[in-house]
Amino acid sequence: MNKKLLQRRDTGFRLKLIGNIKDRMLSFLLMLFLFTCAGSAKAQEKITGTVKDAGGPMVGVGVQLKGTGVSTLTDGDGRFSITLPAGQKGVLVFSFIGYTTKEVPVSGTQPLQVTLVESSSDLSEVVVVGYGTQRKQDLTGAISVVKATDVKKRQATTVAESLQGLATGIRVRGGGQAGSEAQIQIRGLKNFSGTNPLYVIDGLVTTANRDFNPADIESIQILKDASAAAIYGSRAANGVIIITTKRGAEGPTKIDVSAKTTLQTIPRYDLAKTEEFSRLNFMAYDNAGATRQNLDLSVNTDWQDEAFRVGQVQDYSMSFSGGSKDATYFISAGYFGNKGAVISTDFDRINFRVNTKSTKGIFTIGENLAISNAKTDEMSGNPIIDVVRMLPTIPVYNSANPGGYGYGDEGRARTFGSNPVAIADLDDRTNENLRIRGNLFSELQFLPSLKYRISLGYETSRDHFTYLRKEGNWTLNQAYDPAIFNENRGESSTALIENTLSFTETFGKHNINVLAGQSYQRDNYAQIWGRKRNILANPAGGYYEVLDQGNEPQTGGFKNRTDLISYFGRFEYNYADKYLVNGVIRTDGVSRFGKDHKFGVFPSISGAWRISQEEFFKTSWINDLKLRANYGTLGSSNIGPYDYIAFINTFPTIVMGPGQAVQPGSTQVQLANPDLRWEEVTQQNYGFDATVLDNKLTISAEYFISKTKDVLLRYPLLTSTGNDGGNPYVNGATLGNRGFEFTATYQENSNPFKYSVTGNLTTLRNKVIDLGYGKNRTFVGNTVTEVGRPIGMWYVLQTDGLFQNAAEVANYKNAAGKVIQPTAQPGDIRFKDNNGDGAITNADKVIAGNPWADYELGLNFNASYKDFTFSMDWFASFGSLVFNGPRSVTDMFSDNTNYRAGIQPWTPENPNTDVPRAFYGSTINSRGDTDRWLENGSFARMKYIGISYNLPDDLMKKIGFRNAQVTLSGQNLITITKYSGLDPEFSNNSIFEKGYDFGAFPNLRMVSVGLQFGF
Amino acid sequence: MKNILLILLIAAAGIVSSCKKSLLDQDNPNTLTLEQFWKTEADAQKGVNAIYHMFYQPGGWSRWMYFRLDLTSDEGFSKSPWIELADWTRFQYVNYNFFEGNQNTYRDTYKAIFRCNQVLTYVPDIPFADQNKKAQILAEAKFMRGLYYYYAALLWENFPIVTTLQSPTDMPEQSSLAQVWAQVEKDLSEAAAALPPQWTGNDIGRPTKGAAFALLGKTYMQQRKWSDAKTAFDYLVTGAGMSFYDLVAYQDNFRAENENNKESVFEIQFSDANKTTEGDGPSSSMGSNRAQFFAPRSIGWSDGQARNWMVAEFKKEKTVDDKIDPRLRYTLFYPGLEADFGDKIYGRSWQWDADEAWFRKYSRDYMRNNEDYFNQINNRMIRFADVLLMYAEALNELGQTADAYQYVNRVRQRVNMAPLATAYPAIGNNKDLFRERLKMERVLELCGESVRWADLKRWGELDTEAGITKVALRDPDFNNFVLDKSIRLPLPQIEVENNTKLTQNPHY
Repeated sequence: MNKKLLQRRDTGFRLKLIGNIKDRMLSFLLMLFLFTCAGSAKAQEKITGTVKDAGGPMVGVGVQLKGTGVSTLTDGDGRFSITLPAGQKGVLVFSFIGYTTKEVPVSGTQPLQVTLVESSSDLSEVVVVGYGTQRKQDLTGAISVVKATDVKKRQATTVAESLQGLATGIRVRGGGQAGSEAQIQIRGLKNFSGTNPLYVIDGLVTTANRDFNPADIESIQILKDASAAAIYGSRAANGVIIITTKRGAEGPTKIDVSAKTTLQTIPRYDLAKTEEFSRLNFMAYDNAGATRQNLDLSVNTDWQDEAFRVGQVQDYSMSFSGGSKDATYFISAGYFGNKGAVISTDFDRINFRVNTKSTKGIFTIGENLAISNAKTDEMSGNPIIDVVRMLPTIPVYNSANPGGYGYGDEGRARTFGSNPVAIADLDDRTNENLRIRGNLFSELQFLPSLKYRISLGYETSRDHFTYLRKEGNWTLNQAYDPAIFNENRGESSTALIENTLSFTETFGKHNINVLAGQSYQRDNYAQIWGRKRNILANPAGGYYEVLDQGNEPQTGGFKNRTDLISYFGRFEYNYADKYLVNGVIRTDGVSRFGKDHKFGVFPSISGAWRISQEEFFKTSWINDLKLRANYGTLGSSNIGPYDYIAFINTFPTIVMGPGQAVQPGSTQVQLANPDLRWEEVTQQNYGFDATVLDNKLTISAEYFISKTKDVLLRYPLLTSTGNDGGNPYVNGATLGNRGFEFTATYQENSNPFKYSVTGNLTTLRNKVIDLGYGKNRTFVGNTVTEVGRPIGMWYVLQTDGLFQNAAEVANYKNAAGKVIQPTAQPGDIRFKDNNGDGAITNADKVIAGNPWADYELGLNFNASYKDFTFSMDWFASFGSLVFNGPRSVTDMFSDNTNYRAGIQPWTPENPNTDVPRAFYGSTINSRGDTDRWLENGSFARMKYIGISYNLPDDLMKKIGFRNAQVTLSGQNLITITKYSGLDPEFSNNSIFEKGYDFGAFPNLRMVSVGLQFGF
Repeated sequence: MKNILLILLIAAAGIVSSCKKSLLDQDNPNTLTLEQFWKTEADAQKGVNAIYHMFYQPGGWSRWMYFRLDLTSDEGFSKSPWIELADWTRFQYVNYNFFEGNQNTYRDTYKAIFRCNQVLTYVPDIPFADQNKKAQILAEAKFMRGLYYYYAALLWENFPIVTTLQSPTDMPEQSSLAQVWAQVEKDLSEAAAALPPQWTGNDIGRPTKGAAFALLGKTYMQQRKWSDAKTAFDYLVTGAGMSFYDLVAYQDNFRAENENNKESVFEIQFSDANKTTEGDGPSSSMGSNRAQFFAPRSIGWSDGQARNWMVAEFKKEKTVDDKIDPRLRYTLFYPGLEADFGDKIYGRSWQWDADEAWFRKYSRDYMRNNEDYFNQINNRMIRFADVLLMYAEALNELGQTADAYQYVNRVRQRVNMAPLATAYPAIGNNKDLFRERLKMERVLELCGESVRWADLKRWGELDTEAGITKVALRDPDFNNFVLDKSIRLPLPQIEVENNTKLTQNPHY
């Protein structure tokens, strides 16, 4: 980056501030005072010197005598001269935007030689914006930059998981399970077809799934608004996450090694033991007038002990990097092994990466190549629910059952819960992916201002899934199955060719940057599968897991292809670093739409005004202030490759005739909308960035309004259409999102105790503006999505306490005097008869709350003192109402499950409770469509806490190391919430029921020890 | 290096510019498009075949239909620990969207109708060498559509009629029960006119003229149009089709052997050839799940079982050689089965409660000791004995009681029961007494064959509080029965909410 561009003429006025963090307001007043008295200082002693950075002399650096108004600037050669009042020995403060402020005591030695170091997160930082870079100060769109160090410090399988709380406007949920991938959502639900943003890794459009090693990351930029993401036009509607991997730097070979080991524990339910369980179970049976079951009271199984264990992660990586002036290289290898916190779950990944780049004259060529192999031993069943549904009176093993495992029994333990130990053994799934991801790029710098770049990208993965179903049962009354083996191999590939031409020129105060490009991408996927039954058992144990064995073969396979052709251009204009204008246009053509709808055009325009550059802007405590505004359109075609075509299902077969001969059938099963077209998001974004208080406090705020029209959604069709196989996509709804994002970072680096604090706040309101097919609302499960409200509002019956006695039942009447719940008994739930018809029906359901958080907060604290560094991240979410699915199981009593320890169902002796009477065999008190299961989903969680010790430099030198660090850290150790489920930070795949905890795999508590060193 | 780059650049530019159109026109490489189909006779044949595939899907006759018809009636009930599933067999309908109880069956009914409507829409435009063949295919589709509307009328009554291909935005009007019956009559009459009296070879199992007349007769019976019903049944009993039908050994009606025999009027052709999931995927299951769901506890899911009042009914009358009615043996698993007939139950002696019983028809305990989701035994949806008893019922209602006797006797005689007049001399030509006896004859002959719910409705047993009370003595689930409400299922709430032209069934 050309340092000249950083020059400022108005540096002087902001040097007057004294860095006392404890008393900002006082400082402000003091500063005003200093302004007035500066002129009265008398010249007595002259100090001279030069200021430079790694690249040479620096122009315009502010030099100030600490605690006074005495100041000056460096000249064109980096020289300065300052006159001190008589007798003053003081300290000189050197400051320059983008650089760490330095204090130098005035000593006898002259001239002073001062070297400034660039500060890490500052305006001069280069931000990758897609097909190019911009300085942070020139940005006109909403882009969050996440530092690799912040991502790396957490123990995460995928990148998304480690981003939570580090940037505004993003919502991350999930992870935890060995090999699982987190969900990430940028600026709210803009559509119904998925929320995954577009990932661009080293220019290659891809996914940062579990195959990707987060240790290779150099930087992450999150493009949130239309102007920022528009260069990726199509598919950018959900935002773009740009990941740049590490490259070598000029210098001798550097070797970096890191090793981390982590212990994981899973949160647990507090469930009844046999004594409490049997007492409650008998109560539920007695209340229902049913004969008690013959529970085996001699057994007391803790199913959580059986299904859960302490998980372990081993994460090792090593890299070699270096290079000469003309060529650099970066080579890394990594291993990540996770023994899951649930039995029989594992994840193993190995990674290799080679990034190189060489330059000769006007010609540059480089490549990024990553190879990874990831293997997961997948979880079978859902142990999160199974540990609740299995009774403590059931033994883990029972030799009388096929397969030898204990499970429900009609007379002794009537439950259809699955034995998690049995299912882990008998139902075995593995998933392995070999992925090769790379690109080759070449640049020709025809002229200093004109550069051509071609990039060829290729990514392929070989996926291998196996499923072995061993003979044996895991649940009561299970259908007989022999040993079955299923093997499934898939192959995906993405090929990408991109040509870009960029032109950069400065005409006086006018800076122009123009980019034009073209891109072609082809995605292929193909899969074959085979299945056999009666797999041969191996006398030595297990089975011969090959498809040669067994009988009754079945096979299948399919393939898909999508093509995308794009043309794009960007125009950046910068006048005197004050006025910034940015225009982007991209047109995309995709094979997923019918012939009249393939192309979409996505323009955006944005501008920024660095008001602090203006002459009239003389507010000395503001170092930099930029106002931004933009407007743009993005597209989405997040549907299947052939969804616009109605096709014939040729699979139905029938048998006819004496020999039951199999005959083919063909029919249309799924309807299709041939006129599918691009979904379009238009966004407005208004924001400002400010750097104040001597560059110590940076503030960023954004307000955005987005509107998605022609949303591609699978709108629930009427059953009477006869459609099946999923509702067909339609460009149906219009959705709106509005949000406010605020980030503030305060950093203090001038004392030995250095620290920074970042707080961020995100609010988001989504609203359905229009629904498809002219409908006003649609119902899914316990939710309603209707025009004018957020997606998926809870729509349930309202409970109104419990009936305490027969008189209350008899007196609970509607206006016409009709007894509303005539069959209710004391201890039963009283429901609100909202329509006043004297009966509790579906018509009494009302909108009972919002599953979306009102606001989310992130707080990151980093500090260092001498050789210690400390870091802590908090994340909090407030105001959501969520459905506790597991509690609707433990508290129902209508079916046999284990119960919450300490639950107090209503009894005549114990009427002061909110739990209705226990009643087996009827859902009167346990129906799932009531507000009984809705809970406050607010929480605050310490996502990360860590302390590191850097081994002292002198020791390093002795042993020949460049650096070495030991880190002790913890994740998810503290959670503050009223939510009674395992984890308020749950995720599910439902669009309309986002607030429903279906028994989601919880986030794990983790404690890690890490060692990092380089030489 | 520069040359390579140049070549790459030219190549890239070349690919993109020359192939722009064709690259974006990607056809689905996996299957036919709608536009490519419905062109040939073979297409028409495949299209009609796909309708029968709906029998294999759980909303219909591979699973849940038996819950609606057999368990809801006073022949069966559920002790399932899956409370909601059990509630849907005892008129405790709380969540009208309950998938397994309502929505799945509702959806699969429309899926089947959609397949019928495709054949009826597209096939008329397909050129056929043999016009008769074309007429038969259309008639098969009409038969199947009539069949699905018949059961929709039984279950929901006010079921919106759809006879055209629907676009995603179409909202059909509500239909009254009378309108649905009229549609069934129309479809079945037209089917009967064109279906062949018999199929040969690998077409055996498709609906015949007799099947259409039998189902048409049953449709009239439900509407108490006795004369029309008799006329329809005439074809099978006394008319042109009589030679095709007869009674066979009783147990042969419920086993995998001797399928499509002379007693079969219409059968669902099940097979265990594809042991995979049901649905519309490749190699999807063609088996029945009924036995897996109805088999006794610890053998199957046991979500449904028989009321054991029937055991006593079977034992009230002995055969002419003073043995227990052999139909009991093949109808139920009950505590005395081993003592009475020497049969074990899936290899086990009775280990269940003394007051319990389980459905034996269509179970495979005669050939194996467990069940699974791939039961291959054809379901005899309409068998000749049912037609004979219906025929007798129609004659009785028409005042021709004396004439009706012979048909009941024919059914009784097959299992060695004395002629009705001998066993119950008090009936004589009293229409009401005859009808009452016939009700029990139907239970003994047809128990567990999914006809009882229609019988109860037809006989008006559930139209009065007194009648309901009487049924509740046999099946206490009927204590939950609400007059004029429980007689029909609620429409799925989601459908009522999303189709503004629809109103929910009365009292729901």
